[in-house]
Amino acid sequence: MIKDYPKTVVTKDGTIVRLRPVVREDEEALKVFFAQVPEEEKWFLRENLNDPEFLKRWMNKLDYDQMFPIVAVKEDDGAILAGITLYRSASPAIRHVVHLRIMVHPEYRSLRLGSWLILDSVKLSMDLGVEKVIAEFVAGVEDAAGAAAAKLDFHQEGVLHDYVKDQQGNYRDLIIMVKNLHQDWSDF
Amino acid sequence: MSFAAEQKNYSERVVRTLIKETPKGTLTIRSNLPPGSFEGLEMDDGLGRFAHYSSIIRNVETFETISRREGGRVTLALMEPKLIIAYGICSYPDTEERWSALGHVMYEMAAVEVSRNFRGLHVGRCVMDLSMDDDLFEDKIAYMQGLSWHWDLDGKGLTAPQYRLMMMHLYGLYGFREVYTNEPNLTLRPENVMMIRIGSRVSEEHQKEFRYLRFGIKQPK
Repeated sequence: MIKDYPKTVVTKDGTIVRLRPVVREDEEALKVFFAQVPEEEKWFLRENLNDPEFLKRWMNKLDYDQMFPIVAVKEDDGAILAGITLYRSASPAIRHVVHLRIMVHPEYRSLRLGSWLILDSVKLSMDLGVEKVIAEFVAGVEDAAGAAAAKLDFHQEGVLHDYVKDQQGNYRDLIIMVKNLHQDWSDF
Repeated sequence: MSFAAEQKNYSERVVRTLIKETPKGTLTIRSNLPPGSFEGLEMDDGLGRFAHYSSIIRNVETFETISRREGGRVTLALMEPKLIIAYGICSYPDTEERWSALGHVMYEMAAVEVSRNFRGLHVGRCVMDLSMDDDLFEDKIAYMQGLSWHWDLDGKGLTAPQYRLMMMHLYGLYGFREVYTNEPNLTLRPENVMMIRIGSRVSEEHQKEFRYLRFGIKQPK
């Protein structure tokens, strides 16, 4: 599957972007990328990738079998514009499931980059034999990403009410969206 | 299995022939068949209309029509003397298709299909071998559009993701790779796949135009 990368997409404004797996050499570009993410969004990161030391450790344990990070890289200057990571447990009980986490550079939103990354993840999951893709979005913060997932046929499977707290201590819901990869056709 | 190959000229066309021995008998596979080659041939009953699947081509006359088109190429696998058990079709894109904007540099691998009665014998590979065995492809951006609603999932006993992988493996053998596009039919389902092979003599300019065209942009900035 990795051999099929990079994949090229052209955004609505004509920017050429390459989707490819993260490699060790991306560390500096990732630091720059996460530095651009607004503080109120960094707050909700499950992993503190904004911390250079944590990022270094994260890069050192890259294991595509359990964690497959893909970045969207601008062709002309190599800047990272967005990233998505597929998390897949080694446990056979839930090996058929992947969890997605996505982040798009604030200046490159509304260009469908997030949609392309989600679609790429779905195709990759399909090719890996995964049956179910799960994405979680913080209500009121990641609504645009949730809407993009909905357009790619993710459906809302559940809501964990008051599951997360924002920087001000306010509770927010966590929306759980699922895409079942077609294992069979309906007769319709 | 044994193979033999011969080559004959029919006016400007080069027809290539491959003989393939199979447990079901000897197959003759011929590529680039000229108009007039199809009279008296019959479709095997494993090509046709089924409960969840219909062959893209069900009438022998359609092969004649395709072979008469400019750039239309038909490859047939025959159980001699007259039974069509597989086919491959290549052609320039229809004028209403997005890809026609680049003219004749675009060349579609429009279909490869093997009768339900002859699957598992690697006939599809032979049809592809002969179809692709032509220097013409070095001047073309050859492409295939795998649309899952055309796939015989029941007949193959595969799920759509498995069928997608099978298609990607088959075309990958001939240098095709998956590319992304916002073409509406291809984006309808994630298992749909567009694969391309860029010929060695295709200009950088055409490659650039094609990259933008995949996303509906006709004039690169």
